[in-house]
Amino acid sequence: MTLGLKIANVSKTWNPDGPEPVPAVRNLTLDVALGEFVVLLGPSGCGKSSLLYIVAGLEDATEGSVTFDGLEVTEPSPERSLIFQEAALYPWLTVRDNITFGLKIAGQSTKKQDEAAERLLRLVGLVGAGDKRPHELSGGMRQRAALARALAMEPKVLLMDEPFAALDIQTRARMQGHLLNIWETSKASVLLVTHSIEEALALADRVVVFTARPGQIKAEIPITAPRPRDMRSPEMIDLAIQCEALLAEEVEKSFKEQEQEIA
Amino acid sequence: MTQDKRTSVLRRLIKRLEPTLWVFASLSIFVGFWEFAWWRGWANPLLLPPPHIFLANLTDQFRFFDPGGTRAGALATGGSIFSVLGVIAWSSFRVTAGLVLGFVLSLVIGIGIRYFKIFGKLVLPLVTMLAPISPVAWLPVAVFIFGIGNPPAIFLVFIAIFFIMTLATLSQIENVPVHYIQLARIMGCNKRQIYRHVILPSILPELFVTLRMNLFAAWMVVLIAEAVGVGSGLGQVTMMARNTFNASLVFFTMTLIGITGFAFDQALRYVQRKVLWWVGPSSVGGL
Ligand SMILES: Nc1ncnc2c1ncn2[C@@H]1O[C@H](COP(=O)(O)OP(=O)(O)OP(=O)(O)O)[C@@H](O)[C@H]1O
Ligand SMILES: [Mg+2]
Repeated sequence: MTLGLKIANVSKTWNPDGPEPVPAVRNLTLDVALGEFVVLLGPSGCGKSSLLYIVAGLEDATEGSVTFDGLEVTEPSPERSLIFQEAALYPWLTVRDNITFGLKIAGQSTKKQDEAAERLLRLVGLVGAGDKRPHELSGGMRQRAALARALAMEPKVLLMDEPFAALDIQTRARMQGHLLNIWETSKASVLLVTHSIEEALALADRVVVFTARPGQIKAEIPITAPRPRDMRSPEMIDLAIQCEALLAEEVEKSFKEQEQEIA
Repeated sequence: MTQDKRTSVLRRLIKRLEPTLWVFASLSIFVGFWEFAWWRGWANPLLLPPPHIFLANLTDQFRFFDPGGTRAGALATGGSIFSVLGVIAWSSFRVTAGLVLGFVLSLVIGIGIRYFKIFGKLVLPLVTMLAPISPVAWLPVAVFIFGIGNPPAIFLVFIAIFFIMTLATLSQIENVPVHYIQLARIMGCNKRQIYRHVILPSILPELFVTLRMNLFAAWMVVLIAEAVGVGSGLGQVTMMARNTFNASLVFFTMTLIGITGFAFDQALRYVQRKVLWWVGPSSVGGL
């Protein structure tokens, strides 16, 4: 038995029986070790979100399999929590109730829920915001609340789909630091999708660059530099140039393809 | 200093009163034209008596209001403001009962159609086919089934909103953000819990707006039902006024209906704000 996440020969075709099947992911194999931070980088529409949905268990792979700690993934579980670009907090619940939503569903006592809420609010830096409603929070605070909601379930894998893409640059940098702290203490594996090379390099143990649709792995770039990383160091600049070149090729390809589709 | 304070108090007062002032301004324009038309002799006071005439002799009008409605047309027990309020209360009760029934049942049926696939396949075509039939066409049916009295009026109000609200429920369920449901699944919700904890609260606000938009349709229907099949209420008074060519009474009753409908809308908005607190005031809509 292998611990961690194993994505083995996974393909995903949307509308396989429809008039226009869309192959989103093709024959993709990727392992994420326990506690590893992997960042997926790829052109728009190359199937990154599709892959996360499959790993989360929300969608079935057309071919191949996903196993976690040796068990095949067939349905969603709080073990593999997903964080979207928009926080998707429930507007009818307070921030605290959003955070403890999963615990309530799991049937935990209110006392335990309250304790967890206070601990998590402190962890993500939202002390005092528990009784607020989601629309009263800033984008960054909302994303932190979403993170707290995921962490409440003590996930073993955090799947993050462009979690900071909607935030301004300053908030983004703060959130990245925050995420690293939380990741280091929680020991969860992270599979994070981003369009930002800088973000990928700041966070990842390993950057996985995707090809244009259907998504396949084009390159894997391990990063061993200790965090926090200085993006202006020669090593990082080298890596950034490398990533940019890889990505530019695929973006070019995917644009060509789109143009052909339109024509 | 005190000058400043006084102006700020005044400004706040104006701000509080502003909506009400606009209501009065809006009414005044309408009434003004009417009175002007009467003054110039364009409007025949027997057919189109302006407000200062039909509101002049209130006790005279009150005579025609009998909450029981049994001695319709006769100068019966009516005559006080209480009998007028009684008549309004009866109509309001019928509307309220129909609305509550329609809202709850449409929610139950709408959710049921999505929740139980076979039930949905059996019921949805029926709902879609019955939806376009005007409530007025249901009037004879209501009388056949329920006879005379409150039930047929309540039934008609129910019919007026039930089908529309059921279809609205379905479309709202379609529009629940996918992420909400995906998250619920990740958090361990089963199907029942998803409906209970995610779908229901996400569709309620919009359904309440739909209910408010159909409130006026409900009022129109109840008046028709009262005029034809119930024998009491504001609708019955209007009908009697028409039959006796009492134009003043017609307009007086119409005024009452307008005010009551307005009050209903305000009350529903209040309920909406209290119960659905997560919906900002901006999305409540209307006045
Ligand atoms: N639910 C769906 N049904 C049908 N097709 C889908 C669905 N979700 C995604 N697709 C298609 O699959 C392809 C890959 O989409 P996906 O969202 O996985 O890409 P992505 O890499 O996340 O893109 P982006 O970077 O823009 O978020 C796209 O062509 C998209 O249109
Ligand atoms: Mg995506």
